[in-house]
Amino acid sequence: MGKKRKHSETESAAPPKKDDSAPERPKRTLLGWKDKTQDAEEPKPAPEFRNKEKVLVTCSRRISFRYRHLMLNIVSLLPHCKKDSKVEAKSSKGATLNELVELKGSSSCLFFECRKHKDLYMWMVKSPSGPSVKFLVNAVHTMEELKLTGNHLKGSRPLLTFSSNFDKDVHWKLLKEMLTQVFGIPKEHRKSKPYHDHVFAFSIVDDHIWFRNYQISVPHNEADKVARGGLDKMTLVEVGPRFCLNPIKIFGGSFGGPTLYENPFYVSPNQIRALEKRNKAGKFAKKIKAKTRKKMHEISNPLEPDEFADMWKDDE
Amino acid sequence: MSFEDDFVEDDEMNMIDEDVASDSEAESLSDSDSENEITEKLAEPTKTAVYNRDGLLDKLQDISWPEDVDWTHKLTVEIEQGQAVDVNDDLAREMAFYTQALEGTRQAFEKLQEMGLPFLRPADYYAEMVKSDTHMEKVKSKLLYEKKQMEEAEERRKARDNKKMAKEVQSQKMKERAKQKKDEIESVKKWRKQRQQSGFSEKGAGELDLEFGNGKSFQRGGGKKRPGVSPGDRSGGKGKPTSRMNNKKREFRDSKFGHGGRKGLSKQNTAETTNDFKGGFRGGKAGGNKRQKR
Repeated sequence: MGKKRKHSETESAAPPKKDDSAPERPKRTLLGWKDKTQDAEEPKPAPEFRNKEKVLVTCSRRISFRYRHLMLNIVSLLPHCKKDSKVEAKSSKGATLNELVELKGSSSCLFFECRKHKDLYMWMVKSPSGPSVKFLVNAVHTMEELKLTGNHLKGSRPLLTFSSNFDKDVHWKLLKEMLTQVFGIPKEHRKSKPYHDHVFAFSIVDDHIWFRNYQISVPHNEADKVARGGLDKMTLVEVGPRFCLNPIKIFGGSFGGPTLYENPFYVSPNQIRALEKRNKAGKFAKKIKAKTRKKMHEISNPLEPDEFADMWKDDE
Repeated sequence: MSFEDDFVEDDEMNMIDEDVASDSEAESLSDSDSENEITEKLAEPTKTAVYNRDGLLDKLQDISWPEDVDWTHKLTVEIEQGQAVDVNDDLAREMAFYTQALEGTRQAFEKLQEMGLPFLRPADYYAEMVKSDTHMEKVKSKLLYEKKQMEEAEERRKARDNKKMAKEVQSQKMKERAKQKKDEIESVKKWRKQRQQSGFSEKGAGELDLEFGNGKSFQRGGGKKRPGVSPGDRSGGKGKPTSRMNNKKREFRDSKFGHGGRKGLSKQNTAETTNDFKGGFRGGKAGGNKRQKR
């Protein structure tokens, strides 16, 4: 399964290039099965490292069309993912989902949960013991929107760009690592395509993670060289989808566990709606109060009798 | 304090709710919420929020890949962010994302070029794309439509402007003409007065030259030639040419129904016409209708 190699193992494996240094199986590298003396070169620092990331993508029932399309878009963007059928509402508790992830043999999971047909929450979970994050998803634009005109190869590996404030704080670093692992396609994945023609942009603005996907269009002739000055003529066309993630909580376990981080600025959409309603409810009361105030004011300051009030009364 | 709990819970999840003020960020991003009453909340909730830095670091160590992994596995680029972007300003925000992606791609391409790896798709590499061809057709048609709309709007605006200009020019010309006419009339009047004063003497011819036309011959209507006015045309030459072409039809209808068209009485069978089954107005009807108003 997707068991990540710990640091200790890499250290022990690096100097001797023996088959049985790795715990699982004889390591297979690009050059074939690993033999004894073989490479004099040490360019591949962890030669046995293979990104065996597999993502399971599921959603809850009663998900609305826009969010379902978003999920399908993400499925098409990540060839190393596996889409599963909807999970029952009751079973969106930790244990069942954990079992599902284990069953499918994936190393991480993206679970889309839609509540009240309005709010979309996304869980990003590393299995089996990894941290999990719950996000509130906003500002969703799917790839089907006609204003997003770009297109790229299905399964080509994206370039991931992160804004520098991902390194400002620990929880952002953790999120950056998780995003890299989930959204970055493994190098020699069998469904991946060779060229890099799109780029993901993750930025933190206003404590939210904004995601954008652009197609790279450069005038070029050869596949591995850009024409001189070609880099300046590079344009990006947006492919989509677009969404904005608001981290709510980070847990130590998968789909649960001790809370490692809580977003202090997060307000649940229910609360926002409740607040709005309360404000609206107050309007009528305020109006009544204003009326009574006006009456009191009029009583306490009576108007002087108007001298012209009777002017027209005589001419009927 | 209201306690609304709708998430997938584990026992340790405590939601802090403040109904005093809620975050402007969350509301600026959720779709239809009120912008007026909501203010940014700052210090209060942070005190009670959990922030287990060590735990986070531990987990980070757990999941991260070994340090010396080749960059080609990760393909990540970090870009310096300029100044803080206002979330609500859409254009600036999107520009910031765009520049971030652009910078990142440049750096990545330079790296890849150094490594000598192919990274750009050759023109003849055809493979499945993430959006289907039919979808791209729709996109193209929409773009064309938008372009057409813009062009039409431009044309309309130009036409409007031209019309305005033309109107101005025309009014100018009219004024000029009127002025000229007035001048000419004035000059005639003056000449007549002169003649009167000088007692209708016979000489006068030399004095006329000044006023009249400077050699221009006088023509009625200002000398404008209107194309192809036939003598039988009573519209004065101003009518549209097509109306003359439909003349025959008009004449026939006029003769049948009187000038001004058919009034009513659309079904008019006379004793003679009841037995005509062949659409009998082909020659016999015109003028045979006694009931028509004239």
